[in-house]
Amino acid sequence: MRRSVLVLLALTVALPMAAGDLHGKVVCKGVRDCADAVVYVGAIAGKSFPAPKDHAKMDQKNLVFSPHILPVLVGTTVDFLNSDAVLHNVFTPEACAEKFNLGTWPQGQTKSYTFAKECAAVLLCKVHPEMEAYVVAVPTPYFTSVKADGSFHIGDVPDGSYTVKIWHPKLKAAEKPATVAGATEVDFEIAK
Amino acid sequence: MESSKRGLCIVFALFAVGCLFFGAGVPTAKGVPAFSRKYQTSCQTCHAIFPKLNPFGQAFRLNGYRMPGETEEMVKQVPVSLGSEAYEKLWPKMVYPSTLPGNVPLAVNAKFADLYASAADDSGHQVLHNDFQFPQELNLFAAGTLGKHMSFFSELTYGELPDGGTEVEIEHARLDFVNAFGPEHLFNFRLGKLAPNAWDGFQEMWIMTDSGIGSFFDYNPIGFNGGTGLCDSDSCGVALPANARAIEMYGIVAHRLLYVVGVDSPIGPGGSFDSFGSTTQKDAYARIDYKFGGLALDGTSTGVTLPPENWKETSFRLGVLGYWGNGGGVNYEVTDPAGETFNEQDRTFHRYGIYGSVYVGSLNVFGGYLRGKDNLEIFNPESNVLFAAKSPSYSAWFVQSDYVFAPPFQASVRYEQLTPGDSTARLSKIFTANFSFLAYANIKLMLEYNGDLVNNKNYTFTTVLRAAF
Repeated sequence: MRRSVLVLLALTVALPMAAGDLHGKVVCKGVRDCADAVVYVGAIAGKSFPAPKDHAKMDQKNLVFSPHILPVLVGTTVDFLNSDAVLHNVFTPEACAEKFNLGTWPQGQTKSYTFAKECAAVLLCKVHPEMEAYVVAVPTPYFTSVKADGSFHIGDVPDGSYTVKIWHPKLKAAEKPATVAGATEVDFEIAK
Repeated sequence: MESSKRGLCIVFALFAVGCLFFGAGVPTAKGVPAFSRKYQTSCQTCHAIFPKLNPFGQAFRLNGYRMPGETEEMVKQVPVSLGSEAYEKLWPKMVYPSTLPGNVPLAVNAKFADLYASAADDSGHQVLHNDFQFPQELNLFAAGTLGKHMSFFSELTYGELPDGGTEVEIEHARLDFVNAFGPEHLFNFRLGKLAPNAWDGFQEMWIMTDSGIGSFFDYNPIGFNGGTGLCDSDSCGVALPANARAIEMYGIVAHRLLYVVGVDSPIGPGGSFDSFGSTTQKDAYARIDYKFGGLALDGTSTGVTLPPENWKETSFRLGVLGYWGNGGGVNYEVTDPAGETFNEQDRTFHRYGIYGSVYVGSLNVFGGYLRGKDNLEIFNPESNVLFAAKSPSYSAWFVQSDYVFAPPFQASVRYEQLTPGDSTARLSKIFTANFSFLAYANIKLMLEYNGDLVNNKNYTFTTVLRAAF
């Protein structure tokens, strides 16, 4: 009896904080697919989010950065692992990431960088100029990578009014206002 | 039913190849399947019957072998990255990025010809030849794009000659730098051995007939009293170089105006193919023309309603062109009427011409007029003393009509006339008729007649089978 009351009480408290989700479809014009796009909720006035304790990971394997696009919350530290038998380097020309250059390191070792500002930083390897990846540091934890078919889903977004943004390395960024109340759909069409 | 009719056509055409013993020269008309591979598209995207370009193919070519408005999903062979695009912002601290074609961008044309040639010898007797030139030539192409702005085109030709000899020649080897700066299409550059864009529309690479327009490109302006006719040896002067070693700038203004300016290595004995320029001089050429109606030269419709058949349109194109050269220091051997030998130099020369092309649906009529003047100086070969100076003028014109009955069937007729610089030489009047049949998208059969209308003993019949793969 006492346990049932506690559960009921917990549900009552939780109801006003019920989270919905953002989902939708993106049309990416002029590129093969939408796999490189990132959808996220823009900065929310008066709200800040603590940086996650867990580090995000970016691997360099078979002369390719993996993943190619890594969205993270601002403040996240990204560990760059070299899984190849050859030397790799990681640097970025972006000022929002302090134009960092982590040097060159061998297989099995990791170097890290903390993305302290909102930033879409291209990551390059001076040893292998064709290697390219992006870390997209966004101001809220409500973000996701878009699937190749253009679909996306962001779960656990608190009900409320937000600006939903989309970023793509080759297409123009876009944004839309959205009021999340349960399952909410937002669609985008982006082009060069 | 359609299948059996088509099969009958192919059998008939193959029968014609096997049975008709006709012949002609060694033309260089091509199609480049390397682009079909890159875009996974048919030859008919750019050609009605290769090598003649349809209006879209023309825009594709002028755009450095890129689709007008090209986006990456149009390119089916994903290119190999030679650097992230982000390196563009880092130049000159880092190397500017580029790409390589996803596959080796090679293509082959194989040409088999049956030649039946009649010619009058010096005594006026008719001499007949009949050759199976199987093959007549093989062409190895490499063509594609390198990054955002560079393109390349090269062609290596291996030819078997009627006398049993062979020849290998780099017909084209060039690099293009398109959309170098400024508005799109306005500033483009080409360097290498190339078919000048000043001859766009009538150079042998871009016409339907197997034979080129000899009165424009094969006239020999050298002679004791001026040129006497078309080139008949390996040491001719050149009226217009069909291919030139050149640096060229061209562009499209306001969608429809084409301009071309170029500087090329001077012509010399054997023509531009065989001369690397024996002097420090450089020749120059230019052209400007405008296309009214139809698909614009940059591939946009500019509001014009275009028919779904991509070989059709209603348009009119008109242009002027010029070539200025200096052949000083290049000696040609000539003989006077008494048989005495002299050296002759084409000290300065110029050609001015006009070009027009009209499309009315499936019919394309185009033609040109060219007038040239050569300032010839004749020297004693031993003392090198000037013996005489002459400035003969010549003129040439042609008109050609191409008609597409249906995509696999096309007919062409052409008349061309040359008035040589030597007033004692006879006019040259040449009639050409061609029927082309596209048996498959990349297999072409042609029947062609070339006749000298002044001497009816000079004519050729050619039957050609050409495969592009």
